[in-house]
Amino acid sequence: MTNEPRLTSNSIEVVSALEAIETYFEKGWSDGLPVVPPTPEAVSATLEAANLSPDAILGIEPVKGAVITAEKAAINAVMAGCKPEYMPVVAAAVDAITAPEFNLHGITVSTMGAAILLVINGPIAKELEINSGVSAFGPGHRANATIGRAIRLIVMNVLGTRSDDGLDKATLGHPGKYTWCIAENERALPDNWEPMHVTRGLGESESSVTVFSGLSGAQFGDHASNTPEGILDSFAERIYPLGLGVHEVILAICPEHAAHFDEAGWTKQQIGQYLFDTVRKPESEWVPNGLPSGIKNGGEGVISSLQSPESVIPIVVGGDGGAWSAVIPTWSLGSRSKAVTRKIQSNG
Amino acid sequence: MASQETPMAPENNGTSFRVLDPTATQSIATDGMAERPESLAGMRVGLLRNDKLNSEPLLDAIYDVLAERFDVSSAYRVNKGDASRPAEPEFLSDFSNEVDVALLANGD
Repeated sequence: MTNEPRLTSNSIEVVSALEAIETYFEKGWSDGLPVVPPTPEAVSATLEAANLSPDAILGIEPVKGAVITAEKAAINAVMAGCKPEYMPVVAAAVDAITAPEFNLHGITVSTMGAAILLVINGPIAKELEINSGVSAFGPGHRANATIGRAIRLIVMNVLGTRSDDGLDKATLGHPGKYTWCIAENERALPDNWEPMHVTRGLGESESSVTVFSGLSGAQFGDHASNTPEGILDSFAERIYPLGLGVHEVILAICPEHAAHFDEAGWTKQQIGQYLFDTVRKPESEWVPNGLPSGIKNGGEGVISSLQSPESVIPIVVGGDGGAWSAVIPTWSLGSRSKAVTRKIQSNG
Repeated sequence: MASQETPMAPENNGTSFRVLDPTATQSIATDGMAERPESLAGMRVGLLRNDKLNSEPLLDAIYDVLAERFDVSSAYRVNKGDASRPAEPEFLSDFSNEVDVALLANGD
């Protein structure tokens, strides 16, 4: 006899995995790709790996008051293909996306069509083999693919935010809405840089997930510049088109570019200050873009696209070869959705 | 010895298993429609825009039609200031004190 809380979700009887897959398609419970059939045994193992009770509340979406329980999160994690040991990351990510400042409802229903980018820091990235190197944003790595997918399935199935018959009204959408999870390439950080989660207040030995409401990134190659100023001028050219009022923007810095910051001894703060000082022009020349810049009429002052030097969030990511970095804007340019970092609770 | 692949198992091997529903039933507001006025004559019309670029001209255009066809009293225009979040209860309470009927617009 056991007093352990039991799973309470409704269940369906099937005779094969293929039947289960087709059933989930028919019920609108997939993201358009086949799902792993979530058996009670697999879901229980996933909960156990994170030491979670099925009825534990991982997050409450603030606008609708929608509750995300550990049981529902684990079902969707299994469906996404997660190993049980990924569940602590999924649980921390649910906590992060339901923080009021992330504005989950806004970013998932908006015509702007943001995706949810998860960036993992700390020892767990290596333990779970979350890719931070070659083709970090690409396919081929189970942890990256399935943790990001689990979060999207939770948004679709638990919150009902779907594009077919639900609340998702994105005009174009974004391929990152299938899955978007990377780890920071901490091995390639300049010597005087702490990892992103340390910059955001956690300890170096801790593991974390940081969530961003990411829009389509602008990748660029700069194989010619070998100074911080030259590389940042290339970043600046991709920030200008965002317009005014950029509160948060991700700089995805490849290892080759990071090495030049390292050689020059530049800090993250210097990068923010340089871009804040550089991405500016007379107010009257900024093209109104309908975004919530707070500026309606062009004056004569010379102003920056960035709200402050802290508006840029640098992360180091990608493979060693090639000088390809990217600017990744966030929903509402970060004015109404803030990046959120949460510690991943170890079950060890 | 290299592993041998075996033919795919038949669709139905005679045993069944259970799989779990990934969805959650979320509560839905049960408040019904507000009571409809019999006439707009003398009514104060609230125009609640959501900060989107076109919400203001859309509401103004609708109000112009109402004012032309009905003997409304006045327009009361407010902006909730953030399209992505619900208006605060206090804001809505203040708004409702100033109007008899209300129009809302998204206006993307």
